[in-house]
Amino acid sequence: MLRVFLTAAVAGVIAATTWVIWDRVRGPTATPIAGFSAPFVFGRFAVPPDNPLTEEAFALGRHLFYDPILSGNNQVSCATCHVQALAFTDGLAKSPALPGGELEFSSMSLTNLLWGQERFFWDGRATSLEAQALMPIQHPDEMDQDLGELVTELQASRDYRRMFRKAYGEISAENVTRALSTFMRMLISSDSKYDRFLRGKARLSEQEEHGRKLFMAHPDTKVSLRGGNCIDCHSQFLTSGFRDALDGFSNNGLDSDGDLPDGLMAVTGNPAHKGFFKVPTLRNIAVTAPYMHDGRFETLEEVMDHYNDGIVVSDTLSPLILEADNAPEAGQGTVGLRMTPDEVQSIIAFLHTLTDEDFLTNTQFSNPFEGDS
Amino acid sequence: MKVKVFAQSVLIGAGLLMVGLTPAQSQTREESQGMVLLRGLPTLDTKHSIAIVELDPESDQFGELLSEVEQPDIQHPLHHLYYSPNGRLYSTGLDPSCSLAEIGLSRDSSGTPVIEGFTCLDTQGQIVGEDIMWATSNGQEYMFVTFMGGTGGDDGGSVGVFDTQTNEVVKIIEARKSQVGEGEPYIMYPHGISAFDDRMVVTSTIHPDMATGVGNVLTIIDLNTLEPIQNIVVENEKPLDFPSSPVEVLFARPDMHADIEPAILANTMFGFETWKIPYDTGSKTFGEAEVIYSGVANETAVPLEFYGTEDELFISHGLPGVVKRYELAALPELVSSGPDIVADPGAHHMIFFTSASGRNLIAVQNNLLNLGNAADDDPTDVDFIADLSAHTITIHDLETGERIAEVNFKERYNKGVDNVEGLFGSGFVHHH
Repeated sequence: MLRVFLTAAVAGVIAATTWVIWDRVRGPTATPIAGFSAPFVFGRFAVPPDNPLTEEAFALGRHLFYDPILSGNNQVSCATCHVQALAFTDGLAKSPALPGGELEFSSMSLTNLLWGQERFFWDGRATSLEAQALMPIQHPDEMDQDLGELVTELQASRDYRRMFRKAYGEISAENVTRALSTFMRMLISSDSKYDRFLRGKARLSEQEEHGRKLFMAHPDTKVSLRGGNCIDCHSQFLTSGFRDALDGFSNNGLDSDGDLPDGLMAVTGNPAHKGFFKVPTLRNIAVTAPYMHDGRFETLEEVMDHYNDGIVVSDTLSPLILEADNAPEAGQGTVGLRMTPDEVQSIIAFLHTLTDEDFLTNTQFSNPFEGDS
Repeated sequence: MKVKVFAQSVLIGAGLLMVGLTPAQSQTREESQGMVLLRGLPTLDTKHSIAIVELDPESDQFGELLSEVEQPDIQHPLHHLYYSPNGRLYSTGLDPSCSLAEIGLSRDSSGTPVIEGFTCLDTQGQIVGEDIMWATSNGQEYMFVTFMGGTGGDDGGSVGVFDTQTNEVVKIIEARKSQVGEGEPYIMYPHGISAFDDRMVVTSTIHPDMATGVGNVLTIIDLNTLEPIQNIVVENEKPLDFPSSPVEVLFARPDMHADIEPAILANTMFGFETWKIPYDTGSKTFGEAEVIYSGVANETAVPLEFYGTEDELFISHGLPGVVKRYELAALPELVSSGPDIVADPGAHHMIFFTSASGRNLIAVQNNLLNLGNAADDDPTDVDFIADLSAHTITIHDLETGERIAEVNFKERYNKGVDNVEGLFGSGFVHHH
């Protein structure tokens, strides 16, 4: 009896040891994301062939996203400026800079990045999500991390050694950015009231539906069509900027020529792009105040006031904005949509239907270092 | 320090580019992925299905079915495809058990388009769905569907009005010829549908059994009351000695092109003609119907579908299998905009798209009435159209009409191809 017991125990130890060794030497595992299904109306997307969406990469990316180890002083994580409850913005006009003061731009929402414009940051300086992910980590004003030191720190962690091994095989800066990109690509918001409306599972109120129709229409007084002109820049389903070429960037009339920041021109060198900024997604817009690249507007009402009556003309102002006028006969003292207060409120009501509570509270996107997540 | 940091950044960025991480470089094109409805051929032991097919001759996957869902329990296949304004995909169907369906589309984690399946909708007894149109009645948008069999009977036919959110039937517009008074407007075997302002038009085509009866009128429906208000006869020559059988219809209107004078255009399947009926928006009255294209005179037969691009109107003619093209701005007159696109016998539905190199293309589905082939001893074969089912989709250069390639579904998949008029895309649609 004892011999049987000992034999079984030895066999168990050998099996466990073998498994541990095998787990440490085997290559990465690529488990497809369970139950992944993207709304087809969001349009096409592509994932880099050597960075497919996998459970292992997502889990690693989620940990890295919330871990201050990514910063030089180990106090700042991606989530510091990208808070889930705020649709991964930070609620500030401009995020604080590491040495003091504030950054140049407002923190952008990280939502539905699989689709839309493939240049990232307000000025489009990153041409892929993978390239984008490394920039804040290294920027002296943001996370100020040396990539070599980051890799050394990560290698000192048994948990990260295991997660990198499973996801990619080794710890490297390239794999850090791959994992962060996977996590960000998976931040899909597709269960707002508007989404449920599109699927036939919810009805919009009369005011919301009026706002939706205004959102989707470019005003045309010749046929008595009133419109909020939103869709000229914010696509019908994603509500983000358009994907092709640089169509997802625009000068939306915030500043005069003298005050116009470089924007996209800083990247392309083309003066025609001066004052162009990335058209952001409007998904969860009700929780991402303040608004615009510099956070100058506190509320959606202020945003609508800008488009309705406060457009500042400059050389590169979008012609789609310049010509969008619901009441051109009302005088030329200002440039704007000239909608009625009811129409403005209807558009704001529609914008509120873009809030996706499930996205804002989904534990799969939350901090894995807190609670039971 | 800064030099080191940014040098690293540049090097890593370059590395990422070298290993091909730029999403744009791995982009899978979807502009050429057509949604098709395939018919199982009984003698070849295949099932009806919905599929996505690659139609770009420049693609290594040209002609491949990228996703397919079979309909094993349905005797007759789905028939037409329509995207709603909100991007939901619907199909009408010839089988009484599934005369209207919603098709589920999505993408998997690699971005590959996927057909998830389809749900047959409750039509409250209306059968043989044909065309769909979204239009407004008293400020409310509805989905209007023609049912060629209606709720049954020798003179059946209905227009189903559906809630755009729930897909529930709101109203069935019916007016049987045998039940309305003499001279009163009726609806019979409706197929084509189009609308402008508060006027809708449907055609009276043929009883679904293709034996009981054939129509020869258009029916005008008042969208304010959702009641038929007028019949317009569109019949002249009878080359087959049948009633004219108006099939597809297009209400040409200024929102298609600012220069268009409103008028109805209607193709007669057995009269081989295209008709024009002018519309006066002020008095809301229709003028005299007149033939503006004669198939007998032009040696074409069975005109079927209307499709449009930004500047052209295309009309398919099943025999000899051509697509004629006209200047959109000149409508309702048919002013040729180029030579015929020579497809195959049965030229029917079509889509427009671009190749990977940016070439503008048109794909034409060539099966007339989507039936089988006598050579296969197919029980669904009908002699008249036996030779008009090429089972192909032909691909042509849109500018020149040059035939570039074809997919023969019968040879490749042992199936017929009933429909291609939509792409897998964000609410992309081509019909009427």
